[in-house]
This record gives sequence, C-alpha cells and structure tokens, in this order.
Amino acid sequence: MTKQLVALRVNRRLHELAIESSWLLLDTLREQLQLTGSKRGCDDSSCGACTVLVDGIPMLACTLLAASCEGREITTIEGVTEHGALAAIQKAYGDWGGAQCGFCTPGFIMTVKHLLATTPKPSEEKIREALSSNLCRCTGYSQMYEAIKAAVEAEQKGLAGDEKNAPSRT
Amino acid sequence: MTVKPFQLLCPRELSDALATLEKHSGNIRVLAGGTDLLPSMRQRLFEPEYVLDIRQLREIQGIRLTEQGIEIGAFTTLHAIENSDELKRSYPLLVEAAKTVASPVIRNMATIGGNVCLDTRCLWYNQSLSWRKSCGFCIKKDGNICHVAPGGTKCWAAFSADTPPALLCLQAEIEIRNASSSRRVTLEKFYTGEGDNYRRLQPDELVTHIFLPRGSALYGGAYRKLRIRGSIDYPLAAVAVALKRKNGDFEDLRIAITAVNPAPLLVAGVQSLVNRAMTRERMAEEIAELAARTAKPLTTSALTPEYRREIIRVFTKRAVLEAAAD
Ligand SMILES: Cc1cc2nc3c(=O)[nH]c(=O)nc-3n(C[C@H](O)[C@H](O)[C@H](O)COP(=O)(O)OP(=O)(O)OC[C@H]3O[C@@H](n4cnc5c(N)ncnc54)[C@H](O)[C@@H]3O)c2cc1C
Ligand code: FES
Ligand code: FES
Repeated sequence: MTKQLVALRVNRRLHELAIESSWLLLDTLREQLQLTGSKRGCDDSSCGACTVLVDGIPMLACTLLAASCEGREITTIEGVTEHGALAAIQKAYGDWGGAQCGFCTPGFIMTVKHLLATTPKPSEEKIREALSSNLCRCTGYSQMYEAIKAAVEAEQKGLAGDEKNAPSRT
Repeated sequence: MTVKPFQLLCPRELSDALATLEKHSGNIRVLAGGTDLLPSMRQRLFEPEYVLDIRQLREIQGIRLTEQGIEIGAFTTLHAIENSDELKRSYPLLVEAAKTVASPVIRNMATIGGNVCLDTRCLWYNQSLSWRKSCGFCIKKDGNICHVAPGGTKCWAAFSADTPPALLCLQAEIEIRNASSSRRVTLEKFYTGEGDNYRRLQPDELVTHIFLPRGSALYGGAYRKLRIRGSIDYPLAAVAVALKRKNGDFEDLRIAITAVNPAPLLVAGVQSLVNRAMTRERMAEEIAELAARTAKPLTTSALTPEYRREIIRVFTKRAVLEAAAD
C-alpha cells in the first residue's frame, strides 16, 4: 500500500511523516518518532497504557489512526515535563508510590493531567472516576489517589517539588 | 498487532461521504470513534479495502433542540451526551445509560451512532484470528458452525450496547441516508434480531441522526447494568426503565433490555400490568417476570445464561421500584 505524507503535531513540534493510512497512532509515535513513552498494554483497547492527549482530550493512541490526527495537537508523556523538570504530578507519582512496575504510568499521567487541567480541585469521586479509565496491575490505585491529592495540594500551596510533603521512605 | 492495510478517506462534506460509500459499497467500513471497529480490525474481523472516517462531517455532530424534540448527530461523542444540560434535564435516562459505557477516556472517542450500530458480541467471535482459527471459525465470521448452539444454523451473538435500551424506551427514531435518499425509522425497526446480520443498514447507508420525541421528555427512569469490572466493560445483561407519572400513579411505563439477545428489545405487555389492583412490589415482580421471559441469553459471554436471565429479573424489579420512588 502506498504511503502518504501526513503532518503530525506532537508535543508542540510539527513532523512530516510518510506513513500508510492504516497505521495506528501508537505505532507511529513509537516506531516513527521513537516516542516510546506511550505503551501498548493490551490488544483490545481496554488498558489505557497508550493514552495520549488529542487537542487536550485523553484518547487511546492504539485506537486512533495516525492519519486521522492530522491538524490536531498530540501530547504524549514526553511532552509533560515542564522546562526539563518533572511536572508536579509526575513527581508526586514517584514520591507516593503511584508507579511500581511503571508500565501503566505514562497512560495514567495523561489521564490525570487532563483531570487536573479541567478540575483544579477534584473531589474524591472525580479522582476515582478519572482513574477508572486505566488499568494498573501493581499498585491497587490507592497510592495514585494519594499522589493526585498531594499534587493538588502542592499546586495550591505553590510547593510543587517540595520534599517535605512527601511520605517518608524506609 | 496491526490492522490489514486499507485506504483511508476523510471527506469534509456529508454528500461526499455518501458518494464515497456508494462508490465503494461492500468494500468500505464507516469509522466513527473507532472504539469498536479498530479493535475488531486488529482481530481481523473486518478487512475492508477502504475506511471512511466521518469525524470531519459537521452536519452529523452535536445536540440540537427542535420543535419535535431533540436531534442528535450520529457523530456526537458519548462524553458530549453525558454532559449535555438539555439531555440531563429532559432525557436523564439516556444520560444515565451513556455514562455506563466503557470508561471516561473511551467515551471521549465513542459516538452515539457507533453505539447504536455496535457489532454483536460473542466469546467465540471477539477473538484474535489465531484464536478463532484454532477453535474453528463460526457462522458470524468465516465459518459455518455455532459454538454456542451446537448444530444450530443461526448466529446468537449478543447485542451489547448500553444506550439503545434507553433510546428504545424513549421511542427514538434514526435517520439513515444514502447518496440519493433519506429514510427515518424507529430504532426498534433497525435491529433484525439475528446475531450476524444484526442491523437493517445497506452497505451504502450512513446513520446520520437520532431523534428523541418531545413526548418522551421528562420521563423518569433508571438503568441497571451487569458487568464483570466496574469500569471499561460491556454489559452482560442490562435493563432500562422509563416512567411517566400522573398524580402519583403510573401513566406510562416502558422497559427495554440489552446484552441478552441478538437485539436490544422492548419488553412487550408492560403497560397492561400497570396500575392494576396490586401492591407496587407485586407489580414490579410481574413486570420483572415479563422481562426475564423476553431475555434469551446463551453462552456468549463469561457469565452463565441462567445467571444473566435471573439478573434481568432482579434488575428489572429494582429499576421499576427505583423509578417509582423518584
Ligand atoms: C474496552 C472497551 C469497553 C467497551 N465497553 C462498552 C460498554 O460498556 N458499553 C457499550 O455500549 N459499548 C462498549 N464498548 C464499545 C464501544 O466503545 C461503544 O459502543 C461506542 O459507542 C462505539 O462507538 P464508536 O464511535 O467508537 O464506533 P466505531 O467503532 O467507529 O463503529 C462501530 C460500528 O458502527 C459502524 N458505524 C459507526 N458510526 C456509524 C454511522 N454513523 N453510520 C453507519 N455505521 C456506523 C461502524 O462501521 C462499526 O461497524 C467498549 C469498547 C471497548 C474497547
Ligand atoms: S494499548 Fe491498551 S488501551 Fe491502548
Ligand atoms: S505500576 Fe505496574 S501496572 Fe501499574
């Protein structure tokens, strides 16, 4: 099948790619752009490990065609860091044990980033609802819930990145 | 696993989309949110030469108030439906059902048109090519046997979408178009009741709109869904109840079930049981019995048919009592 030229905006950079129109966004990100942060965790669009933002909205990169994303702004986990430093939510995930094996983490961070962007002070229910889009086989979700609450608090106090707020480790 | 190569067509105008469907009729699939079609294409259940991406067709997006009721474009996401103030106010049952579909992220992509058109599902069908090949292909795809009803010649795959039972209770109609004409049918008439050829849609046709009549506005209701996981999961038995009351009495009661038959079904005979001289509890039980008799689940999913049928009974009773208590 012939390839076509598609202009994809990923993490604020425009890429011109020669791809087949049947290619999935996830494969295009991972194999053409070497953005391997987004993971393939399942084969039936159920796990959320591939979640990216499309025009700011979380979607499954394994269930989108790359060519359908032309003209839209795609953000992957690689585009989440702020000026080279970890974003508050990334740091909180690390501090609170929100990531164990880490395979699900890039997807979760994208889902949670959208939650925090649209709901600066999410209720417990809102947090749990957001977390219900992604599967994690390690953490049991509670640590993520704590991490999100900590990130929200840090954001409010302007304390993002403050070590004192993190739980002590043994 | 990737999909078999195809050519993607992304028209901007509805007329172009319909002309494209006509031109490649039989060798083209409509791609809306893709949350059903793309996983199925990865499993090689569909291998079309062309795929028609309808996401740029503005004419079939959004929720509009009209004199007759509400018009919903087929390419309206379930996220937009669950957040529509108009729908929350006038058709809360649809909102409640939409909110149970898959997960919040999937609902950002999934459309109502895709939900209405959702392919029927079966343990023996929604599997990878190698899995299906090693077990023996079935009637629905590539084979001539049925693993669910051995010896049978009919496909029993279950229709498993959440919004259609709510839409049936609300007496929704859908608009279907091809390049030269347009027709409007009640949603009830859209489904055939067969597992393989489950919908009345010609290869050159597109579902363009869904209409909710004004007469169904402000019905109360409840939706109860059985699934294995609390999120990211299809219904394995579910019931929608819509109720209109007058002076405390039931004026109109409608019930529909999904995920237990090859089509979503309105339960017949409900109205004749309403307001008879019996306790509300007793009435709910008799209605639940009707619903359970309408359900004909087979071994198409991980839970047993007996359990799913019983759940239809239990959920119907609960949903009727809950709607009545509102
Ligand atoms: C993990 C997972 C869990 C899920 N859980 C649920 C669930 O709980 N409940 C549920 O109801 N669904 C569930 N789904 C299925 C699916 O996400 C939804 O049914 C969704 O609404 C389908 O819409 P879509 O726009 O993504 O459809 P698509 O995948 O784009 O299309 C589905 C089918 O309809 C056809 N089609 C779409 N739009 C039109 C149109 N306008 N005219 C003609 N044909 C059309 C397509 O050709 C295709 O055959 C789940 C899916 C996944 C992956
Ligand atoms: S890889 Fe599992 S949902 Fe995309
Ligand atoms: S940390 Fe291992 S799957 Fe979530």
